[in-house]
Amino acid sequence: MQKKAGPLFYVFLFLFVFVVMFPFLWMLITSIKPMSELFGEKAFMPFTDNPTFKNYASVFLDYPFLNYLWNSFVVASITTIYTVFVASFAAYAIARLNFKGKPIILGIVLSVSMFPQIATISPIYIILKNLGLTNSYLGLIIPYTTITLPLSIWILVTFFRKIPFDLEEAARMDGASLLQTYWRVILPLAVPGIFTTAILVFIAAWNEFLFALTINTAEKYKTVPVGIAMFQGQYTIPWGEISAATVVVTIPLVIMVLFFQRRIVSGLTSGSVKE
Amino acid sequence: MNDLETSRQSEIPQTKPSKPKKPKRQLSERTIGYLLVSPALILIFAIAIWPVLQSFYFSLFDLRLNDPTKSSVNLNYSIDLDRYLSNYPFLIGGIESEIRNGNAVDELEEVKEKLQTLNQQIQTDPGAAEKYEAVNEKLNNFERVPDHLKLVEIEQQTSQNYLETIKGIQKDLDALRGQNEFKNIDKIVGLSNGLDDAIIKPNFIGFEHYQNNLTDKRMWKALANTVTFTVISVFIELVIGLAIALLINKAFFGRGLIRASILIPWAIPTAVSALMWRYLYDGQNGIIAKIFAEVGLVDEMSSLLTTSTGAMFSVIFTDVWKTIPYMALLILAGLQTIPKSLYEAAAIDGANKWKQFITITLPLLKTSILVALLFRTLDAFRVFDLIFVLTGGGPANSTETISILAYTVMFSQTNFGEGSALSVIVFICVAIISAIFIKLLGSELIKDGSAK
Repeated sequence: MQKKAGPLFYVFLFLFVFVVMFPFLWMLITSIKPMSELFGEKAFMPFTDNPTFKNYASVFLDYPFLNYLWNSFVVASITTIYTVFVASFAAYAIARLNFKGKPIILGIVLSVSMFPQIATISPIYIILKNLGLTNSYLGLIIPYTTITLPLSIWILVTFFRKIPFDLEEAARMDGASLLQTYWRVILPLAVPGIFTTAILVFIAAWNEFLFALTINTAEKYKTVPVGIAMFQGQYTIPWGEISAATVVVTIPLVIMVLFFQRRIVSGLTSGSVKE
Repeated sequence: MNDLETSRQSEIPQTKPSKPKKPKRQLSERTIGYLLVSPALILIFAIAIWPVLQSFYFSLFDLRLNDPTKSSVNLNYSIDLDRYLSNYPFLIGGIESEIRNGNAVDELEEVKEKLQTLNQQIQTDPGAAEKYEAVNEKLNNFERVPDHLKLVEIEQQTSQNYLETIKGIQKDLDALRGQNEFKNIDKIVGLSNGLDDAIIKPNFIGFEHYQNNLTDKRMWKALANTVTFTVISVFIELVIGLAIALLINKAFFGRGLIRASILIPWAIPTAVSALMWRYLYDGQNGIIAKIFAEVGLVDEMSSLLTTSTGAMFSVIFTDVWKTIPYMALLILAGLQTIPKSLYEAAAIDGANKWKQFITITLPLLKTSILVALLFRTLDAFRVFDLIFVLTGGGPANSTETISILAYTVMFSQTNFGEGSALSVIVFICVAIISAIFIKLLGSELIKDGSAK
């Protein structure tokens, strides 16, 4: 298409990015405003004369925010590691091996990824409650599989299919068994794809809300999204602290997205584009 | 390569004479394929498919978690021995002590006799006899009674007899209460009421929840809200997303930065961004509310979150902000697979930009757009966290979607049966939507690429 981008294009681009980023920038400003400037006319000022870090201190000292971060981190990491591990085998088999019923299996995976979470929550809640797993890390890791496993199989299958078949055949000619071929030839080549999948699964698990809200209700086991959403002040909603907390969760994500944007995009679009 | 060679050598039998080599090689590709897929399939079945079936099963019962007689699925009559035996001996004891004090001796003797006959009946019930003893022993030792001992199925006849007897006793006691000076009458009546709850009736109600829901205005309102939200937000996202994808489908400086910045709304937890927007929409201090009011989009700042149209608009606006990047990226990826030569050829044939868009871009983008639409529509249809945090379904249920309603029924009203019925309705809607899209897409979505 059009090769060159004119100055007008950059103006448009700048405006677009500004609109997209505006809420974050505003939260950043709000988070360093002192309490008195959060209300009334001063609430609309795009700057402050008395910047303060009180809100940040309060987030970490008055709320168990570090604890929320840690919970989210533990749950999201374990979920990522175990789902990607299980999914990699399944995806390898679906993408590279010949056996009957592959379209059906892929169809099941795809339909499960479309399941509304609300449709699984009542039995999962009752089972976890009977097992005594509500308010525990395992209580979230188990149900997160419903979301993350189909997602990772779906993305990984696309990545595995892209690896040239010649390499595999060469390895087999040399007498490597199927599993050896997998470990020594396919897996090293699939590392970028696995990494991409892991990022997406991690984000999905980190952001999950419904299960976290219903299953882990104890303060000690709340995850970040639920924790922040339930921030309560004594009389009013503590917007100062909420904005500071929002900034704290957003910054690592911004860094991650900056580093891995290429991978994230390739993961998001895999499977949706014919190649 | 070295690794491969050593491994090949290790498979020659002479190098390891002692053990017969496992017949690894004889496993066919097919078997290995099924073996590798099975853990994932088992997990998917256990954690996703089975719970959906279970949800459907629950929806046929009057299941309420805060009511001990309805807190599980019961097809038959049963008796909670734990509850029964925690009440019965004390009731007898209480009655005996009143008798000893000489209060209404004859009447109470009669009540006591009825109770003992009943107790005899339970003890001799073929199902209950053994567990009766076991539970009694546990209770005497102040131990917790395990669930499998607690509940015993009994004949419908026995349980009806039981309930009638207890009713009769309660009536007798009530009648006596007015006439005599009892010491512990409140305790005795309390204990006899406790015996009522020991019988667990079957709570199977068939499709009653569905019947109720399908005639319930609130359910239809929630469904209508969900459809409104889904259709409007996905449509806007598609149009703007397509426009943005077309605009940024060219080489320009700072492309990575743009990509990263538009990914951020997508990457941030929905609950957190919903909360952020709640502040921006705030009737007194929200900057976006102020901007919208000054531009004339709303009459006054507060109407964004306090009127029903305002709230629906706010929710859709936030969803659009959050998911346009995702839409744009999916469409952009599709755009980049269209060969440039097609456009060049069209230009030579004299087709203008619009014609090129209609005849080349749109048809070739069909799959990408449909896939993006499919995922977005399903996501929008099951929307929960955005609305839960931003408006809570309010004001006056004007933004209550079907998932929010199901959640409220299940966890605020602890009515799991009805909530499950609602969640099954969500599931059926989602299934219909996907079926339509998959019909449109054909088999392209799950085509077997390995055959290439």
